[in-house]
Amino acid sequence: MAANYWESTQRKHWQFTKDELATMRQNLEDEDPGLVHMFPLPELRYLNIYFNQQINRLGKRLGVRQQAMATAQIYVKRFYTKIEIRRTNPYLLIATAVYLACKMEETPQHIRLVGQEARSLWPGEMHHTNAGETTTKMGECEFWLISEMNSQLIVHQPYRTLTARTPDFSLVPEEVSLAWSIINDHYMTDLPLLYPPHIIALTAILLAVVMLPTPKSAAGGASAANPQVPGLAAAQAALAQIRAGVVPTGTGGNSGSSTPTLTPQSSGGLTMLGENGGGVVGVVDNNGNKVIDPKLAKVQRIGRWLAESNIDIEAMIDCTQELISFYECHEKYNDKHTREQLNRFIKARGL
Amino acid sequence: MSLTNPPSAATGPGSGSAARTQTLKRSVQAAFEDPADRGIGSTAYQSKVRVIDRYKVVGFISSGTYGRVYKALGRQGQTGEFAIKKFKPDKEGEVVTYTGISQSAVREMALCSELSHPNVIRLVEIILEDKCIFMVFEYAEHDLLQIIHHHTQQPRHPIPPSTIKSIMFQLLNGCQYLHTNWVLHRDLKPANIMVTSSGEVKIGDLGLARLFYKPIHSLFSGDKVVVTIWYRAPELLLGSRHYTPAIDMWAIGCIFAELLSLRPIFKGEEAKMDSKKTVPFQRNQMQKIVDIMGLPTKERWPLLTSMADYSHLTTLQPPLSASHHGHHPHHHYQAQRQAGGGSHLEKWYYNTINQNAGGSGATSLQSLGAEGYKLLAGLLEYDPEKRLTAQAALQHPFFTTGDKVSANCFEGLKMEYPHRKVSQDDNDIRTSSLPGTKRSGLPDDSLVRPGKRMKEG
Repeated sequence: MAANYWESTQRKHWQFTKDELATMRQNLEDEDPGLVHMFPLPELRYLNIYFNQQINRLGKRLGVRQQAMATAQIYVKRFYTKIEIRRTNPYLLIATAVYLACKMEETPQHIRLVGQEARSLWPGEMHHTNAGETTTKMGECEFWLISEMNSQLIVHQPYRTLTARTPDFSLVPEEVSLAWSIINDHYMTDLPLLYPPHIIALTAILLAVVMLPTPKSAAGGASAANPQVPGLAAAQAALAQIRAGVVPTGTGGNSGSSTPTLTPQSSGGLTMLGENGGGVVGVVDNNGNKVIDPKLAKVQRIGRWLAESNIDIEAMIDCTQELISFYECHEKYNDKHTREQLNRFIKARGL
Repeated sequence: MSLTNPPSAATGPGSGSAARTQTLKRSVQAAFEDPADRGIGSTAYQSKVRVIDRYKVVGFISSGTYGRVYKALGRQGQTGEFAIKKFKPDKEGEVVTYTGISQSAVREMALCSELSHPNVIRLVEIILEDKCIFMVFEYAEHDLLQIIHHHTQQPRHPIPPSTIKSIMFQLLNGCQYLHTNWVLHRDLKPANIMVTSSGEVKIGDLGLARLFYKPIHSLFSGDKVVVTIWYRAPELLLGSRHYTPAIDMWAIGCIFAELLSLRPIFKGEEAKMDSKKTVPFQRNQMQKIVDIMGLPTKERWPLLTSMADYSHLTTLQPPLSASHHGHHPHHHYQAQRQAGGGSHLEKWYYNTINQNAGGSGATSLQSLGAEGYKLLAGLLEYDPEKRLTAQAALQHPFFTTGDKVSANCFEGLKMEYPHRKVSQDDNDIRTSSLPGTKRSGLPDDSLVRPGKRMKEG
């Protein structure tokens, strides 16, 4: 069904386990080991970041809405589960995915305009002799893209869950904005191919609530004394408590000292996390007394709702873990190196 | 913005025969072969499946701006018959090139891939091959346009009430499924309602359908003109920017009326778009509605005055007080007229079911009784917020009064409807202009074909 995730082709055909994804990708490489050997590529997680950024660059130039860009992100991910990257020109695919996603999200852009922007954005990589050839190539690529996706073009995005839950959870604008940024970031990972959109959205909401300091806790000693309080760990601890059937209490949140440090860099969500130094569920004031934190109340409320709604907490914990890994890996990401390795096979193979 | 066509103009079977003047005729099978396309570069897209390997085309059904529909049988053990909708590619000169798929084709492919319901036409597969898109559907032997047409043949005779009831129930059931899945059909009309030989009703042609997720999507994005004009809801005619499921429900009301009287209830003439590309007020169509329904009032439709084209209403004629829709004035019904509405619908209804009272007992439309009127009035309610929803209509006493509704709309019929006409000729695939009818205006598709349509501002 088109608007019911549970009956959707997304759930039936485009949600995988990690093992399934790994097998599919291995099979693609095994199809032509020579090609893989000749053109080494950065790890897929770095490619994911690169593709994400290129989609966003093109989308911004075209003034495309977030929703359509998110759909384009998914199209590219789906396509590369079926087709080996080295057989394609990723820039052509990205331009085509944006063009198709805009139609699907009811904000159509003319194929020539998308092609023109892509050509000026990537002049060396969109190496067609003229605009007409770019259009033809994009039109052909659209057939390929739709065919590999089995015409399953309707994508359910986490943004809807975020919007729907905002009033129920009494989220403040800062929380919504941070959750939104985390959702944007998750397109740089495999998460959209692993978990349902509502799981992603709920994880982003919980993270946002846990990490943003309330005015009271910001003034208190806890987060100021330790600017690297691991907010992600706090969220994981809260989830662990929900899983154990305990409504989060404030004690679990401070325990995750072994989790990675977050630094303010690069992605929007990460920057916000860094600036705010993460947060804690329970707060101890300057005199060492426990105070009732409004944030704690909010986390408890969300926790109750998650438990009552039979939300897959395991999945949320794993999502959180994936996001931690992503933010770590994001620090080591090298844009120039990634671009060069991609462009090498595009040029050499004349794609 | 092809607003240049007569409304609805029968997209039904066989409507393509008019322009069959091509000298070069090819077999229908040949329509699926395009030798010019073979042997392009090694990197070119090639379909993994070839449509002619999978299907044997047995005839041509109909055509439209999108392309053509063929009847086919499976070659690889698939059971049943199929209707293959072939979207033609754009052409530049004599060379067929990739120019991007139209938005309506994209919508139809995407929606049909998700939907699954006994009262919505079933998509079997989609094959993208040789710059063409082939959507393979289950085949339906009939459609409502064809069934209505059959009953207008001399001697004109009404559709049996049990058939009408079953059709309405199945149509509403399919529509409810679409609406609960946030899909608006937006072009419901008799030609788009298929009926299989076993009497199952299937909503077809989702080329104009759209999702209407509430919080995020604004349903106004420029495509103001939707739904063949005779079935267009009054709020759209008055310039509403908000599509709701209620526009489909109005269309279903119009279809119900047409099943009863065998002619479109509001058969207006479409006003053409002027040279400035402004969307005109559809005065003639609105007048046709007012003639039967009376002028809408803000008492019965509180948001009426906020409609963009509300001012045009004052230029319409109130309906004549004397009956001009039938020969049998039923004065006692006039007394029952709802206050303020000035509606002639009740009179129209009773005139219709009495006038066509050919048979007797269960075969007479009179057996549909007062509940039939109430259902019709609930669907043809001016205020979209008060109009029956698909779910409410399914609960209507109309369906629980009298005989049980059958899942086979032909149950108990002694006759069989004529089969869909399937022609054995086909024009050359390379002809640039295909005969047939076009859709009503679809400005949002205009972005796809710059050479042929105007880009909207």
